[in-house]
Amino acid sequence: MTGTPAVLACHDLTVRYGSATAVDGVSLEVAAGESLALLGPSGSGKTTILSAIAGFIEPVAGRIELRGKIVAELGRSVPPERRRIGMVFQHYALWPHLSALETVAYPMRRGGAAPDAARAEAARLLDRLGLAKLAGRRPAELSGGEQQRVGLARAIARDPDLFLFDEPTAHLDTPLRAALQEELAARRASTGTAAVTATHDVGEALAVADRVVLLRDGRVVQVGTPRDVYERPVDVWAGRLTGPASLLGATILEPGTGDRPARLRIGNHEVALPSALDAQDVGEAQLLVRPDWVTLDGELPGTVEGLWYRGPHTDYRIASPGGRIDVREPGPPRFAPGAAVGWRLHRAWPMAAETGR
Amino acid sequence: MVSDRRIAGGIGGRLFAVGALLLLVGIPIVTLVANALADGAEPLLSLASDRSVDAWRNSLLVAAAVTALSVLGGVAAALATERLAVRGRTALRIGMLLPLLVPDFVTAFSWQQAYAPGGLVDDVVGVSASWLLGPIGVIVVLTAGAIPLVYLVVAAGLATRAEPELERAARASGATRLDVWRSVTIPLAGPSIAGAATLVMVMSMNAFAIPSVLGTPEGFVTMTTRIYRDLAFAADSESFSRVLALSVLLAGSTLVVIGVADRLLPGRGPARSGVSASSSMASGRRSWLPTAPLWAYLGLSTALPLVALVLTALTRGIGLPPVPSNWTLDHFAEALGNRFGPAISNTLLLAVLAASAALVLGAVVVLGSRRSGRQWLGTAVSATFAVPGTVLAVSVLLAYGGALRDTLWLVLVAYLAKFWAVAHRPVAGAVDLMSPDPIRAAHASGAGPITTLRTITIPILRPALAAAWLLVFLFALHEVTMSILLYGPGSETMAVLILNLQQLGDPTVTAALSVVLTAITLAAALPLLARRGLLRRLGWA
Repeated sequence: MTGTPAVLACHDLTVRYGSATAVDGVSLEVAAGESLALLGPSGSGKTTILSAIAGFIEPVAGRIELRGKIVAELGRSVPPERRRIGMVFQHYALWPHLSALETVAYPMRRGGAAPDAARAEAARLLDRLGLAKLAGRRPAELSGGEQQRVGLARAIARDPDLFLFDEPTAHLDTPLRAALQEELAARRASTGTAAVTATHDVGEALAVADRVVLLRDGRVVQVGTPRDVYERPVDVWAGRLTGPASLLGATILEPGTGDRPARLRIGNHEVALPSALDAQDVGEAQLLVRPDWVTLDGELPGTVEGLWYRGPHTDYRIASPGGRIDVREPGPPRFAPGAAVGWRLHRAWPMAAETGR
Repeated sequence: MVSDRRIAGGIGGRLFAVGALLLLVGIPIVTLVANALADGAEPLLSLASDRSVDAWRNSLLVAAAVTALSVLGGVAAALATERLAVRGRTALRIGMLLPLLVPDFVTAFSWQQAYAPGGLVDDVVGVSASWLLGPIGVIVVLTAGAIPLVYLVVAAGLATRAEPELERAARASGATRLDVWRSVTIPLAGPSIAGAATLVMVMSMNAFAIPSVLGTPEGFVTMTTRIYRDLAFAADSESFSRVLALSVLLAGSTLVVIGVADRLLPGRGPARSGVSASSSMASGRRSWLPTAPLWAYLGLSTALPLVALVLTALTRGIGLPPVPSNWTLDHFAEALGNRFGPAISNTLLLAVLAASAALVLGAVVVLGSRRSGRQWLGTAVSATFAVPGTVLAVSVLLAYGGALRDTLWLVLVAYLAKFWAVAHRPVAGAVDLMSPDPIRAAHASGAGPITTLRTITIPILRPALAAAWLLVFLFALHEVTMSILLYGPGSETMAVLILNLQQLGDPTVTAALSVVLTAITLAAALPLLARRGLLRRLGWA
C-alpha cells in the first residue's frame, strides 16, 4: 500500500441513529481494482457503512478517505456529488419521471457533458450492457431485473473511483447475475475501479470479492480472502455465516505440522487427516467441518438421517460418534435414509471447545 | 436518517421562510394584539355576553359536523373511484372537481335559487327546503362544498400512494375487501385523510360566506359573521374591541384543533416501497352502480343549483316563470359591462400571483424542514391558516394599511399569509411519502442540491405541486372574507361585488355575475385539469 493510496480507507468509522450505534469503530481499506464484500445479517451495519462512504449520512466518529483525500471526519463532510462514487441501490432508486436513457445520461450531464453527447454516450453504454431496447422506457415499464441493470448502468455512467453495491443481485435471476458480475470484472480489469458490495448472501460474497469483511452488530468480526473466511472462520458464528458448517466432537492426538498429518480420535476410532490442524494443543476439541470436507467412502461409522437431492449434488445428514454432520456429494443420492455408511474426513478446522474459539 | 441533512433545503431556506412568516403574519398579528391590549381587559370581559358564547358554540358545532360528514363522504367517494371496478371513472373524477370550482357564496346563493321556498324546485314540483336558511342549511351547504376537497386530497393520495401489492397481500392473507380498506388502504392514506380533515375543520370554522348568506337572515350567528357585522356595521370603539377579543378566541379555538390534529392524526407514513402505483387493483366487471350516489350528489349539490342560478340570471324579472319567453341577456350585459371589468382583471391577477408565490413559499418550508426534526416550521405555517380571514384582514390593515391602502398589494399580502398553508399541506404530504433514495441516487450521480431539486425532486413532486398551485388559485378566486374588508376603490374583486349585490337584494345581476365568475373559474381550471400530463401524473387518465 505504500506509494499509491488506497481507493477507500475507513478508520474507526462510527455511525449512530439516535442513541443506537449502527456502526462501531469499523476500519477497512480497499485497494485499486479490489473488490470487497461486506457480509453480515440484516442489522449488522453493512448498508449504513455504504451510506457513510457515499456521504448520505455523517459518521459521529472516525474518518473516511477516498484516494487519500479525507471526505468525512467529525464536523467535515464532502457532499456525495463530489465523491466520485457509483452506487447501485437495493431498491433500484430509479427516477419515476426519467427514461432509462435519460437516467443513464443524468450522471454524464452532471459531469459536464453536453446534452447530445451525454445521450449518445448513454445509448452506447446501454447497448454494451444489452439494454438498448429499454432506452425509451420509464421505471414503471421495467421489470425488477431490468430496473437493477439500468441502476447499474447509471452507476457505471458516473465513471466512479469506487462502486458501492447494496445487495446488488438480490433481485436478479442467475443469467443476469452472471452477466452483471462479468461486466464488473471487466470494468475493474480495464480501469482499476474498486468495489464495495454489501450482501447477506454468502455465495455472492465469496464469488465477487477479493476480500470479505464479516460484520456483526456494527463491528468487524473477521477480514480475509474468501478462502480464509470459509476455511478458517474465527469463531462458530463466523463459521455459520460463511457457509454450511457442522461441529464435530473429537480428541486431537497430534495436531501435525507442515506435511505431517494430524491424528484424531472420533468416538472409538483413530483417524489421520491428510493435512495438519492449526491447533496449539492436544485434547478435546470442537472441529468445524464443511460439507465438502467429508466423503462417504471411509471407515468412520455413520447413519443417514436425511437427504436432499439438489440436482448437481446431494446433501446428506449423517449421525456419527462425534455428532451430526452435513455432507455434500456430487451426483444423485447413493444411499437411502437409515442406511449405514462409512465416511472419511479430509479437512477440519478446530474451534476451542468452551468459547467456540 | 438523523444526520441526513443532504435532503434538507438547508439553513438558508429556513431563514427565508421564517423571515417571510414574520413579515406576512407575525408583524400584522403583533400589531393586532398590541391594539387589542391598548384597550385593557375590557374587551375580554365582553366575551362573556350570551351572544358571543352562542357564536362560539355555533362555530364549533358547524366545524365538527361539517368535518365528520365531509370526511365520511369524501373518503367513501375516493375509495369508490380509486378502488372499485367502476365505469366512467375519469368522468367521475373530473366531475368531483367541479363543485370545487364554484365559489362558496355562489353555492349558497344558487342553493337558495334551487331549493328555497319560491326557488326552482318549488316552482316545478312544489317541494322546498324550509331548513335551508339556518344552522342545518349552513352545515349542509358547507359539507357539500367540503366533500370534493376531501375527495381531491385523498384520491390523489391513493393514486400516488397506492401500493396494490400491499392490498393484494392483505387479500391473500384472507382479508375481505372491506378488511383491506380498513386495515391497509385507509391507514396508508392516513396522512392524506388527516390533512384533508384538518383543512376542512379549519375552513368550516373560519367560513364566512355561507353562514353569512344562509345563517344571518335567520339569526344563526357564528364567530365570523358576528365579527363581520360588528366591524362593518358598528362604528363604536366598543364593538371594535369586541371584534379583537372575539378574533383572538376564534384563532385560539382553531389553533387548538390543529395542534390536536397534528399530534393525534397520523402525520407521516413509511417511505414508499419501490413498487410503483397502478391506477387500480380492481378487477372484474366494471359497473356504474357504485358511482350512482356520487352522480346523485353531483346533480343535487352542483348541477341543479347551477341550473337554477343560470335560469335566475336569464329570466327577465324576479317572480316570472323561468321559461324561454321570459329570457333575456340584459343581466349578463350588465355584469360584463364597464362597471365590473376592473374587478374581473383584479381577481385573476390576484389569484395567479397568490398561487405562484404561495407555492414557492410552501415548497421552501417543506424542503427546509424535511426529516431534520424541524417540524415546528411546518406547524407554524399550518397555524397561519388557523388565523381567521377576518382577523388576518384586520391585522394586515392595521400593519400595512398606511402604505398599501386601496391597492391590490394589501389584498395579496393577506392572501399569501392565508394560502401559504394551503400550498404547504399537499407538498408536505407528498414529500413525507417520498423515499430518500431517488434523491440520494441523484447526489451519487454527481448532482448538487440545486440541480437535484430542479431535475429530480420537483419533477417527482410535480403532481403535488400542481395540485397545490391549483388549490391556491381556486381559493384566491373564491376568497371574499378578507377582500371584503381590504378592498378599496379600484381594488374590488368579483367576489366582493357579488356578495355586496346579493346583500343589496339584486338576485338577477348577482346571478349573472356569479355565472360569469364560475365560468371564468371553469375556463381557467379545465384546460389545466385536462392537460394530459397533470391527469396522468396523478394517475387519473
